[in-house]
Amino acid sequence: MAVQSDIEEPRAPAAPSIVGVRRWWLVLRGHGPASWQRWRYPFTRRTPLLSETDYNPITLNAERRILNLAPILWVIGLLVVAVIPPLIGNNSFVLSATSFAMYAAINIVWMLQISTAGIFSLASLATVGAGAYGSSYLSVYFGFPWWAMWLTGPLFGLVFGVIITIPAIRLEGFYYALLTVGIAELCRVYVIQDQTLGSANGLLGADSFVPPSMSDRGGLVLGYYLGFLLLIGALALYRGVNGQRLGRLLRAAPEKHEAFAEALGINYRIARIHVFLISSTALGGVGAFYATLLHGATPSLFTIDQLLLLLAMIVVGGIGTAEGAVVGTLIVVLFDKVFIGLGPVRLILIAGIMLGTVLFLRGGLFGIPAQYLAWRGKRRSERRGRHSSKGGEVMPEEAIEIADKQAIFLRRFDARLRAELKQLITEDLIKEHRRTFGKRRSDALERVLTYFRTAAVTDKYAILAVKPFAEYRIVALSGRRGVPPRAVDDQLFTSEQDALHGVFLKRVQDLMDS
Amino acid sequence: MDPYYLLLTAISLASIYGLLAIGISIIWSSLGMINLAQGFTFTVAGYGAWLAAQNISTNGFVVVAAGVLTGALAGAATGLLAFIPLYDKPNFPLRSLIATLAISLMGGQCLLWLFTPRVRALPKIFGVGSIHIGPATATYDKVGAIVCSAILLLLTLGWMKSSRRGLEIRAMMQNPEGAALVGVGLRSTAMAVMMVTGAMAGLASVLLSQTYFISPFAGTTPLVKGMVVALAGGLGSIAGALIAAVLIGFVEAFTAVQLGGQYVLITQFLFIIAVLLARPRGIAGMIEHSRE
Repeated sequence: MAVQSDIEEPRAPAAPSIVGVRRWWLVLRGHGPASWQRWRYPFTRRTPLLSETDYNPITLNAERRILNLAPILWVIGLLVVAVIPPLIGNNSFVLSATSFAMYAAINIVWMLQISTAGIFSLASLATVGAGAYGSSYLSVYFGFPWWAMWLTGPLFGLVFGVIITIPAIRLEGFYYALLTVGIAELCRVYVIQDQTLGSANGLLGADSFVPPSMSDRGGLVLGYYLGFLLLIGALALYRGVNGQRLGRLLRAAPEKHEAFAEALGINYRIARIHVFLISSTALGGVGAFYATLLHGATPSLFTIDQLLLLLAMIVVGGIGTAEGAVVGTLIVVLFDKVFIGLGPVRLILIAGIMLGTVLFLRGGLFGIPAQYLAWRGKRRSERRGRHSSKGGEVMPEEAIEIADKQAIFLRRFDARLRAELKQLITEDLIKEHRRTFGKRRSDALERVLTYFRTAAVTDKYAILAVKPFAEYRIVALSGRRGVPPRAVDDQLFTSEQDALHGVFLKRVQDLMDS
Repeated sequence: MDPYYLLLTAISLASIYGLLAIGISIIWSSLGMINLAQGFTFTVAGYGAWLAAQNISTNGFVVVAAGVLTGALAGAATGLLAFIPLYDKPNFPLRSLIATLAISLMGGQCLLWLFTPRVRALPKIFGVGSIHIGPATATYDKVGAIVCSAILLLLTLGWMKSSRRGLEIRAMMQNPEGAALVGVGLRSTAMAVMMVTGAMAGLASVLLSQTYFISPFAGTTPLVKGMVVALAGGLGSIAGALIAAVLIGFVEAFTAVQLGGQYVLITQFLFIIAVLLARPRGIAGMIEHSRE
């Protein structure tokens, strides 16, 4: 494996591997006086694009770094979604795109219930159905026009939301999820039984926002753009709820930490119910849009199959993010509507994507970056754990505990210098040292000697004249004032040059041992 | 209305739903996984029994054995796909739930592809006719359903109580981590659980197919009902599942006789909503907090 061979090789001298990696930023240059200008939402200090201006310490140019690319990507993505389908698609493609926008809106609002409020409700589509059936009923039997349906749909959603919130107070987790499936099934059986709600055919004949004079294509495109506005509205709602007060309260009270949040004074139950009711109202609104788009409501809104398809969408994209909801919807709708010619195989493909996502991804497609980083961090720490030889260098684990970072680099430099010098030591070099006292020496020998001379005083070798000009021995300095040097061995030298050469040999031996 | 007929219908329905519900309940409590692929197991077992009846023999034992065997295999396949790769991963409960959902979606479509939407009927393994027990008249299939599921349930409960493997399963129900620490193999035990519960679903499938037909999506309704029973009884409690199965069987039989078949689901869901509002963890449920 690549990782394994990495360790065995000698380290490349230039690779700086201090803990942590510098982040890559998108840098814009040459803004001049406009560098410090910010766009701001009116009456707030919030900026649409988070950026930071600073001088580059090397080039001294003013640089503007965009810290969060998400708004740019959102704008590009939404522009593509807004322009492409009516431009290139045929009628059925535009209709599929409209249902994509509608499903995406449902999923974003549903994400508020599941992720922000933490209530695992599977009655999202049933709430849409309640809004659709309620507003269609008013239109069919009381002649409400389309705009009045849009106003009343959210009310039906709210009422339905209130009804299904009541069990949420007592039940939790999967019990509530399965209960909501039951409620959806109840609704389906009820609307199929009820003659005034159109039985199995659905309640058709509601008013539509498409003027009668408009062409087919025009009506489809109008429907698409209204659906797109609905999607934008859902995104705004998501941001408004999840990113503001309610969302922050609930982020402080995640699962299993509710008691702590409560101790801080956060009434998370009320916040959850608020979010749930707001999102139910919004889902009712989507239902009203559905009714005015398709001239009524059908029992398919309450079927488990449709619900599973929606669940597949949010699972593929990743639960907990708005972009996950939108992209997951895009993928599943693409398979479901565009590859409709494949028949049941496309459902097998969708189920395969769903299975693959949960088997390999922790948080759907948009969890991939975090999962990749975690995986890379794990591999790195494994690799560090396998380092066995240190050679005097500071290991990364130690490095975080040494305050003086110069010391780390000094030790690294020292280790690499010694590695270089070891290659210079040869038999010839040692003989040359003995021969050349007081004479010119070769470059290699000078390098080795220079390194030896820089050694710290502690334990540095020295020679002691026992009898001047007759008897010398090697000692090691203690490095402390008042503490005498200690004898290294019993060896006696008869001349100073022999003793100096003895010290040299000892140092060479130490170098080769290190 | 004949009260004995009502009673008998209720008990035969209860025994079939009980088989599924106890399976779901055991899987939840020992593996910590809500198995939504149990309906798929049910359907596959029906097709397995049908294939055996077509190709091997219409003998009752052969058909039942084929159903039970296919059910066990389908259960094992679900375990291999949804439990083994996921059980030590983060966010396991939700991911395994979605995985079983995907399996059931995929499996249903595959069955539709292989066997076409045509419904199939199993041979009447208990014969056609009825016996008189005192004042009551019972058709053979109902008596057969009750007897067969009672035998399999008793066998399973006895096995869980007295065998080594049953001890391991019960240890895993109480505390999977502790069980793993004292040497219970989580994977092998989980596979055993999946096979046994799959076999139960297979038997339920053969028994229910005496009355209904086999079709690619025949498993959905039994799955929903088994889930309802398991929930009402309290996930993880076998006794609770039995009680709930009897109660829900009664509700179904009573509704079908008094109001008509189309209202069965409504009354059942109203019943379970009432039960859950009164007892949020089901009739005998205790598990969610003790399994942490």
